[in-house]
Amino acid sequence: MRPLLLLTVANIKSFTRDRAALFWTLAFPLIFVLLFGSIFTGGSSERSIGFADLDGTPASGQLKGAFAALWNLKIVDGTEDELLASMKKGDVVAVIIVPKGYSQTVAAKAGPANLTVYTDPSQSGADATTRQLVGFVLSAVNQAVAGVPPAVEPSFKPIQTNDLTFISYLVPSILGMSLMQVGIFASVPLVADRQKLILKRLQATPLRRWQLVGSNVLMRLLIAIVQTAIIVGVGSALYHVQVAGSWLLIGGLILLGSLAFIALGYVIASFAKTEDAANGMTSVVQFPLMFLSGTFFPIDAMPDALKTVARALPLTYLGDGLRQVMVDGTPFSPLWVCFAVLAVWLVACFGIAARFFKWQ
Amino acid sequence: MSIPTAAAAEPVIRVAGLHKAYGETRAVDGVSFEVQAGTIFGLLGPNGAGKTTTVEVLEGLREPDRGEVRVLGVDAVRDPDRLKPRIGVSLQTAALYPKLTVVEVLDLFRGFYHLGRRSTDELISLMDLGEKRTTRTQNLSGGQRQRLSVALALVNDPELVFLDEPTTGMDPAARRALWDVVLGLRSAGRTVLLTTHYLEEAEVLCDRVAIMDHGHILEEGTVEELVSRRFKERAVRFDTIDGLPEERLARMPGVATVKHEDGDTLLYTRDVAGTIGAVLDAAEGLGVEPANLGVRRATLEDVFLDLTGRALRD
Repeated sequence: MRPLLLLTVANIKSFTRDRAALFWTLAFPLIFVLLFGSIFTGGSSERSIGFADLDGTPASGQLKGAFAALWNLKIVDGTEDELLASMKKGDVVAVIIVPKGYSQTVAAKAGPANLTVYTDPSQSGADATTRQLVGFVLSAVNQAVAGVPPAVEPSFKPIQTNDLTFISYLVPSILGMSLMQVGIFASVPLVADRQKLILKRLQATPLRRWQLVGSNVLMRLLIAIVQTAIIVGVGSALYHVQVAGSWLLIGGLILLGSLAFIALGYVIASFAKTEDAANGMTSVVQFPLMFLSGTFFPIDAMPDALKTVARALPLTYLGDGLRQVMVDGTPFSPLWVCFAVLAVWLVACFGIAARFFKWQ
Repeated sequence: MSIPTAAAAEPVIRVAGLHKAYGETRAVDGVSFEVQAGTIFGLLGPNGAGKTTTVEVLEGLREPDRGEVRVLGVDAVRDPDRLKPRIGVSLQTAALYPKLTVVEVLDLFRGFYHLGRRSTDELISLMDLGEKRTTRTQNLSGGQRQRLSVALALVNDPELVFLDEPTTGMDPAARRALWDVVLGLRSAGRTVLLTTHYLEEAEVLCDRVAIMDHGHILEEGTVEELVSRRFKERAVRFDTIDGLPEERLARMPGVATVKHEDGDTLLYTRDVAGTIGAVLDAAEGLGVEPANLGVRRATLEDVFLDLTGRALRD
């Protein structure tokens, strides 16, 4: 065990001292999550509205409650000046001022109480939304004050088509993609070590081959764990992506998926003679996996011919499995199929690598 | 050093009828030799002679097509794992982790062995790498890398050390320092198998040498034996004089062989005084004086030139 652990530590040192490798394996997936997260959830300012309550009575508090109850709307308290300043900075899209004496005016039914609403016509989308929201809330208040039961009442049934579902879909997909990259890029340092005769030199020591392979696998699994922590952590901290299912199943998928892709990396290393060739071949392998495996859009949206290809690829099943466990989304296949397909890929790649991999 | 006296008779290395081909190329074509315990054995030959392949078979890194290979009493082909803890290896190209420091690489390799390990500090001072302890190996010079590679070959205090071109890329001072290390190994009772391009190195270090070319061993013995077997003569050398015909040189008193090499004329002769007199006469007749005239004993270089028809350094 000692040589195995020492070699693993040496591998980790070599890896962390290679800035490029560090960036591609750790920062790159993070950038992916942040990029897609900001595209598909929109900026947070769109849903923030400033609320200056100069009246400070239970009635004005109720009004604020009515706004706050609206889906996707965040209320920011403050004085009129503060809120207008933050609107200029773009932190809030509109500011509502409730005048002093609002509750008295309403209670006395002494004519309409006047709310001041600042909007920004240059932000046409936000401007229209604000007008609609204010109109919606106020008509409800007016009705309640007048004591007239509403003649027609909408019953909202939210069906999310974009926003949150898409980022929830993306986080496990990006995780799967990153695990795939960590695995198949095992090929490059392996071929480099062979090319630099490090593998040959190690073979002249009592170190066994299983220890050498084991240390590589161990290091890759450690990177996979760090990646999972980063991607899931950022996803849940910034985009409220939840992990619905069991961590045991997630761990099992990560382990099996990583092993299958590391084995695929060894297959690539079996046929690449130089470090550059390994880099090129690995890239060639990674792109179809990335785009045909339902990472960025569901397989169901693909043409039939591509669907057939997608159904054979290991990343399809790793991503699918992770999505099922993490978001409980509509599964493409039952979970055991995901495990089974990944296991088949692992065994097949291991067999090919064992047959064709050359140590010198 | 604990070589059992009973085993002292058995050679540390015994190779018989070794063959290894890569496709059509016969890299090693019927090589046999023995190396005795506590000696330094040199394997000499031009690039592509088959030295490295031979050594790698002995180290258990390559399977031969056929032949018997016993190293330290172990069958190196069938049982390399029993051999590896007891040997030290420095490959022709120093193979090191580029991003690790000198100390880290040494500590890593020490961790591969259970027994008889030398301390990292001892090895660093032996190979004079003290100033480079915390330097990453990718930032070492060629000679420093080579020294680290030799240090790595010694981490397990091996009974048998393989050094493949260990002084390549070293300056003369570092080369001499390494020679001292190799001679120190012999004093400590270790056995060394050395391949080299430098015949001077072989003359200084090796108890016995074998000259290889095209996969064969052409000649084997002590340096003294090899030289005297071929050259009973001494060499009179001078800068080649134009207009002095070959036949005339060959007819000079005592001259057995005439060679030309890099603008030098070499006359191998049994009668040094007679030959020099004839050369001076001939030069005078042409109105010139022979430049850089000198006499020397034949060297390994002469043996090599004679055997392979080319100088080893080419």
